[in-house]
Amino acid sequence: MKKNKGKINSTEKEFVFEFKAGKHHNVLKVPLQFPVEENISDLHGRLMLLHRIPCFVETDLKSSLVNFIESKTIEDYDREAELALQRLTAGEVDLNTLTNAWAKAYSETTLEHSHPEEPSWDEDFADVYHELIHSPASDTLLNLEHNYYVRISELISERDMELKKLQERQGAEMDSVMQELGKTMSDHDVNAVASQHFDAQQVLETKWANELKQVTAIQKQEYQEWVIKLHQDLKNPNNSTINEEIKVQSSQLTELPDAGARHFEEQRQLEESFTIHLGAQLKTMHNLRLLRADVLDFCKHRRHGSSGVKLRRLQTALSLYSSSLCGLVLLVDNRVNSYSGIKRDFATVSMECTDFHFPRLEEQLEVVQQVVLHARAQRSHRQKEQPEAPRNGGGEEKNKNIERNTSNILPGEFYISRHSNLSEVHIVFHLCVDDNVRSGNITARDPAIMGLRNILKVCCTHDVTTITIPLLLVHDMSEEMTIPWCLKRAELVFKCVKGFMMEMASWDGGISRTVQFLVPQSISEEMFYQLSNMLPQIFRVSSTLTLTSKR
Amino acid sequence: MQSLRDAQIGAFTFFASPLPHDVCGSNGLPLTPNSIKILGRFQLLKTITHPRLCQYVDISRGKHERLVVVAEHYESSLKDFRKPSKPFSPEKVMQIAYQILEGLEFLNKHRMVHRALCPHNVLLDSQAAVKLAKFGLYHMTDHGADVDFPIGHPTYLAPEVIAQGSFHHSDPLFKEPRLPSGPKADVWSLGVLLFELCVGRQLLHNIDISKRLKFIITLGCMDDIVTVLAEEHGCLEAIKELPENLLTLLSKCLTFHPSKRPTPAQLLVDPVFEDISSLYVPYNKPVGLFSSLRCAHLELPENINELCKDDGEDYLAERAIDEVYYLWCLAGGDLEKELINKEIIQSKPPVCTLPNFLLEDGESFGQGRDRSFLLDDTTVTLSLCQLRNRLMDVAGEAYYPLLEDEQSNLPQSNSSNDLSTAVSLPLIIRERDTEYQLTRIVLFDRLLKAYPYKKNQVWKEARVDIPPLLRGLAWAALLGVEGDIKAKYDSIDKETPIPTDRQIEVDIPRCHQYDELLSSPQGHVKFRRVLKAWVVSHPDLVYWQGLDSLCAPFLYLNFNNEALAYACMSAFIPKYLYNFFLKDNSHVIQEYLTVFSQMIAFHDPELSNHLNEIGFIPDLYAIPWFLTMFTHVFPLHKIFHLWDTLLLGNSSFPFCIGVAILQQLRDRLLANGFNECILLFSDLPEIDIERCVRESINLFCWTPKSATYRQYAQPSKPMGENINGSFGKTSTFYTTDYQDLPKTDLLREPMKLSELKAEVSPRISAEDLIDLLELSGPVPFKTPMKRAKAGKPKILAVDIRSMEDFSRGHVTGSVNIPYSSAFGPDGELVQCPAATTLASFKGRVIVILSHALKSAAMFAAHLVKVNYPRVCILDGGINKLKATGLLTVPSPQI
Repeated sequence: MKKNKGKINSTEKEFVFEFKAGKHHNVLKVPLQFPVEENISDLHGRLMLLHRIPCFVETDLKSSLVNFIESKTIEDYDREAELALQRLTAGEVDLNTLTNAWAKAYSETTLEHSHPEEPSWDEDFADVYHELIHSPASDTLLNLEHNYYVRISELISERDMELKKLQERQGAEMDSVMQELGKTMSDHDVNAVASQHFDAQQVLETKWANELKQVTAIQKQEYQEWVIKLHQDLKNPNNSTINEEIKVQSSQLTELPDAGARHFEEQRQLEESFTIHLGAQLKTMHNLRLLRADVLDFCKHRRHGSSGVKLRRLQTALSLYSSSLCGLVLLVDNRVNSYSGIKRDFATVSMECTDFHFPRLEEQLEVVQQVVLHARAQRSHRQKEQPEAPRNGGGEEKNKNIERNTSNILPGEFYISRHSNLSEVHIVFHLCVDDNVRSGNITARDPAIMGLRNILKVCCTHDVTTITIPLLLVHDMSEEMTIPWCLKRAELVFKCVKGFMMEMASWDGGISRTVQFLVPQSISEEMFYQLSNMLPQIFRVSSTLTLTSKR
Repeated sequence: MQSLRDAQIGAFTFFASPLPHDVCGSNGLPLTPNSIKILGRFQLLKTITHPRLCQYVDISRGKHERLVVVAEHYESSLKDFRKPSKPFSPEKVMQIAYQILEGLEFLNKHRMVHRALCPHNVLLDSQAAVKLAKFGLYHMTDHGADVDFPIGHPTYLAPEVIAQGSFHHSDPLFKEPRLPSGPKADVWSLGVLLFELCVGRQLLHNIDISKRLKFIITLGCMDDIVTVLAEEHGCLEAIKELPENLLTLLSKCLTFHPSKRPTPAQLLVDPVFEDISSLYVPYNKPVGLFSSLRCAHLELPENINELCKDDGEDYLAERAIDEVYYLWCLAGGDLEKELINKEIIQSKPPVCTLPNFLLEDGESFGQGRDRSFLLDDTTVTLSLCQLRNRLMDVAGEAYYPLLEDEQSNLPQSNSSNDLSTAVSLPLIIRERDTEYQLTRIVLFDRLLKAYPYKKNQVWKEARVDIPPLLRGLAWAALLGVEGDIKAKYDSIDKETPIPTDRQIEVDIPRCHQYDELLSSPQGHVKFRRVLKAWVVSHPDLVYWQGLDSLCAPFLYLNFNNEALAYACMSAFIPKYLYNFFLKDNSHVIQEYLTVFSQMIAFHDPELSNHLNEIGFIPDLYAIPWFLTMFTHVFPLHKIFHLWDTLLLGNSSFPFCIGVAILQQLRDRLLANGFNECILLFSDLPEIDIERCVRESINLFCWTPKSATYRQYAQPSKPMGENINGSFGKTSTFYTTDYQDLPKTDLLREPMKLSELKAEVSPRISAEDLIDLLELSGPVPFKTPMKRAKAGKPKILAVDIRSMEDFSRGHVTGSVNIPYSSAFGPDGELVQCPAATTLASFKGRVIVILSHALKSAAMFAAHLVKVNYPRVCILDGGINKLKATGLLTVPSPQI
């Protein structure tokens, strides 16, 4: 209805008005378009002016004009309504489809007629947790989470230790075999040993993976049960069995020492913050931050860090079900899995701690794969329906890609995973990029940039108020990324993000946000400061407030 | 707007349909969100006032396309009377029918259709009179196109409405455009509703919706629909017992074919209502301000006391609904919170509703349907307790201030002490203060009702502040708008295409579009009409880019009254922007800018020196400032505060605002060169507007009136027409234009632009000098007005003629520094006793007197160079003063 609006078949009708001026008998004939969209007083004023109608018939003209339009409009309505009824009796429109469409419209959009919703465990748990974390019990919750976390880290270090031992033993064995090579052993034997080693390693890894999986599952269940129980107990404080538990738990934690003082030298990130104003007349304030850090620093819990760890954890927990989420853009290749590169590293990090709220990353990715297949199917179905409308210019080529493997994703597309167990991030946007981003000449229309725009849009619709973006659209530096390359890329991303942020103001009414631009750890300090000089030239940094201004 | 009386304020909420991702409009700009379209269309509903309709008050946009509508509300509705225990008596049903029809007919006259008529939406006030609710939903959603849910309750849908299909854009069944529903659809709904009232039970209850609708459609084959319905529901006896007229009404309403069904207007005059119609008086719209003769239909009752008989104790209830709602908001009311408390708004945490996967074009997948987006149109009553508690201590006098006694500016009540202290608080705080706003609104409301008789007092109160709720009317009063503006506006042809259309069309979607009202399609339509009306009605002037910005504040404030917006704009432009919109306006603008740069030099020589040095002249940045009176550079809320003051000042006040803005950016300007300055002004940084207003008033007080003399300013009007003439004693230094003063030969004379440009410092007239020096003695002319002494700047006259000339006669109190010996080779002031005096009076207004204006100008330029502020030159030189006989010769010392 909306698209072809304004083309309601209009008809022209003639308005006739007769009046006498002295001895002259005058007739005014005006063709009018129906339905009349114009203001009637305006039309009247215009007629008076245009045809120089004497003022003594002004009121007569008005009333007859109003009557004419009213009666003709009613006629139109009647004709249209009768037509609709006729279509129905004539069988042009099927009564069943019609009424079903109505019924569907009602049941899908109104509470009164919709089917009652089945209670969802996730959302109930979300409510309970959100309430608890904003209560004095939050401390207990965090402590519990921390205990579980310690348990997992112990397991992981145990695993690492065992793997290391195995590798050492195998290394030694291999050395001895190699020495014997050509003497007692043949190539064939060496291969056999190698494959044997590999198998042993696989078995061990699987064993540990299973164990970890099991432990996290148990932890998650325990935790959720405990949270629900705590919530119930807090509601009726008579039977306060759990309060005892709280005390025990909290005392336990205080003595938990920062064991294994592996005080790794934290190569602290370089960072610089800016406050900016966007908008021509009405300005909205945003915070920008330029950081040099590893992308996974936002996810890792610093195992042996200072007191800041707990605060950060609390901060993340408090805002988990709130309307100020933190997001991170992770650049990935076109396969939805976690087998290689940054995807693998990220998966490792996400496993370091049990996610008590959301499914494990693997499970989330499985769902994403299903959704991708579904989305492709839907798209191709729609394209078959409208073959005359090719999507964009490179459609042909892209379609070939899709045909090759429909489960792969394309540059500019992204999937989203949710986490409660990362240190500073709730939501990870896995943005697909190809090797194109390594080349120097990408434009504002590049899929990766468009992907950023869509990410920011999701941030608007889902209240993600802090978002971290890799400024250079790469996570690691390589040789071809020269200084001019970096500057050019940074300028492009800054400018595009600025444009998107201005656009965002019209989507969400200008909510203040924090955007963090991340540059790889391996970038030089000098380069970093060059970038931080560039930022205020592109964004308008708000003026400093001088309290001593004299005038 | 009607007063609150026993009504309550209710709120309900719904979602507009989200837009499809990334679709552009035909003009290449992004599409307007549906919620903004609805918001724009809603505004008209605020003007629909009728005793049978619930008054719409406000609409607000929440996150994610949520809309909350605020309207008059009553707790009881016809829904409560549907129980079989107490069906209405036939007489009562007839009355209800008549009242509903009255409301419907009024709506139809405004080209609206209810479409959602059902027992929930027929409310009953304490006198059990009908009040229709939610009648605007169909209108504001563009006949249902902007929302996902169908409008209307399935049981009450008319057959043709069902046949036309659910009006939804995503529905592939209905591709061709249709006309929206007509007034007769409501008549069918009314029939069903009345039927239910007669038999005391719900029709088609507990039946599946599609079956319900099918049943209604099949009624088309029946002869006697009323009987069929009665049989179907087993209440044939009850129907048979009904009186004849009610049965006739029912069968008329329940006519299957729309062409045979009567309209509400036809039903109202139908014989079935013969007995009832005499009980009701047709509603007459009360006349408002700025319409035709307001007293034309005024009839006083014979006994005057009748007028005040319904004065209750509850003064708040006597105020208009929108005022009460406005105060409710100020007293801490939060719509969304009220709705959340009643669990109408139930939002899920966003982290749970994220999609899984997004394609490159932004289409998202894997997002479950969120139940919290479903329509729940329950209306929640907003509790006025908090507001009433807040206003408990406000005495009754505050609601009825006495206006005749011009001495008392605030109502004399026990709370007046608080209020007088409140006046000294910052404006931002005063605008948020419930009690203060109440008294201000009441006062302004009364004053404006008495406009133009009470014009003086409006001015006086406006100097304190203007309550935001009544700003539109208050501005109109300050601008002196009078007469039947509606008739005038209607008679302007706003439809016929003119050459300017294209430019207007381009500018409107770029003008203050951050604002919801002005970015709505309705806003654009109104913008176009007001601008076209102005262009058409001012044939000597043309549309310059910037006129759109200038129109924006007026349109925003008078969104439902285009005529008033047009009238205000037409009054504003000649006052402040005389001839700025000429086809060739260069001479006007050039002169204006030159005077502006003189003002910079006058008030801030250091800044002026720097800007001139780097060549950053006002032409580069100040044209949009003045051409749009700052509306192009500031957001609306800042413009309001700025203009509240601007409208009280005269046409030279904008200069002071300009200087005040520059002074806020002073440090950055002084520190930077040309390029940085250009960049800085291309996107003007945040300006503290309250400080800007304060400083510009201060600057204004320091500026001699004649210093901003402009040859091309609006010529003075004949005394009789002079709007300020009627002020009497309130006409002051502050408000009167220089050009409005009576001409004497001591005033400034026009000079060539090139001459004006050559001078760094402004000239002032002899009259100003005399006035400022408070020279008395044999004054051969009468001072046109008395000026408040406190507001006068301190002044030092410097005579730069030679010693001999000086001793032959000079102005009392002037210092003599002969031009020839004043400055050293490096331009520094040579030390001498007079120069010391000059230095010690630095900061005062320094007037340079001489024979030759050229040397005076040079001298002034030198002073400015060494950062002397407030330097000006006497226009016409000392010769002007000779005629006045004010020159004295010092008595020889004995």
